[in-house]
Amino acid sequence: MFEQVVLAQSNSLYIGDMLFYILAFVVLMLVIKKFAWKPIVKMMQDREKKVASDIDDAERSRKEANQLAQKRQVELQNSRQEAVGIIKDAKQDGETRRTQIVETAQNDAQVLKETAQKDAQQARQDALKGAQNDLANLSVDIASKIIGKELNAVDHKALIDSYIEGLGKNES
Amino acid sequence: MGGEPAYTFKLFGLMFDWTNVISVSVVCIIIFLVIFGLSRKVQMKPKGGQNILEWMIDFTNGIVRGQMPASKARQYNFFAFVLFIFIIVSNELGLILQVGWNGHELVRSPTADPIITLTLSLTVMTVAHFAGVAERGAKGYFKAFVSPMAILLPINLFEEVGNFLTLGLRLFGNIFAGELLLKLLAELAFSHGALTVIVALPLEIIWQGFSIFIGAIQAYVFVTLSSLYISRKITEE
Repeated sequence: MFEQVVLAQSNSLYIGDMLFYILAFVVLMLVIKKFAWKPIVKMMQDREKKVASDIDDAERSRKEANQLAQKRQVELQNSRQEAVGIIKDAKQDGETRRTQIVETAQNDAQVLKETAQKDAQQARQDALKGAQNDLANLSVDIASKIIGKELNAVDHKALIDSYIEGLGKNES
Repeated sequence: MGGEPAYTFKLFGLMFDWTNVISVSVVCIIIFLVIFGLSRKVQMKPKGGQNILEWMIDFTNGIVRGQMPASKARQYNFFAFVLFIFIIVSNELGLILQVGWNGHELVRSPTADPIITLTLSLTVMTVAHFAGVAERGAKGYFKAFVSPMAILLPINLFEEVGNFLTLGLRLFGNIFAGELLLKLLAELAFSHGALTVIVALPLEIIWQGFSIFIGAIQAYVFVTLSSLYISRKITEE
């Protein structure tokens, strides 16, 4: 059947068919190459490159992110330490200020107290002196009235002064 | 097929067969339209047709890569791709479309004709031998025929002829047998009215499905063996 179908019928080999077939094949190759193969393969290669570069990029940015995170960690640590330092300083400052203020206040109070004491002392002494004088004069008056004799006021005063001085010493 | 005379014409003193010429033209037009349609709007993020085309290219690239070192596979990718798509469309054409007119067949699988399959295998062998000389030089090319021993020269030569014949005739035999059986089943279907149609129709459908499978397998085998033969010529053994 094979012979009958293909060769025997025309008693000649279809050389023309072979040529036509090869020609068709070559033309098809050229056309496919121009319209489909080149753009598709180029795009596939481009995509390959892009994927590779994308992977590289991702790797790089991952590294960068890691570095940034580390840096941030360190900086956070630093700022925390700084904050602790600042708080400590402020506390110390406050402490010293407090002690200073308290000291000043104490000093002021001391000075005030002393002044007040001095004032009081002065006033007491003044009052005492006034009373002394009055008492002296009074006693002189009384004495002069009693004994009718003009006592030398100055001598008398000295006498009383000495007496009162003795009193003050005993008091304190 | 059967007994009718081949429908031929003569041009420039060469014999042409209308069936083959028309079938091959139809195959070429179908392939061009499909590939052209699939390769429009090529973009970085593939969509639809581009995906299909890239899948086919990856498939044939894989066949070639499986047979030869990657550095050499690149330049045969395109040849393998066109060869594969050409053979597979040729194989399936006759299952879908068989046109007869005035007692002559006009369209069927071109690969059901030994002239055409042998033309294909001759093309492959030419590419293989040409690549062998180009890749290894004339000396290396001829040395391959007398290796490992000079006495094996006749066997090596015989092997080349055998490769050429088996490559073409295997494809022809598979496709021709498939189509012949399809035709016999069709004849059976219309031989005795409705009863034979009912019997023959499922058989025809089953055989068509099987032939589609065989057509794809044979295209794969043809391209695989082609890359193997090319690879054997261009690499040192």
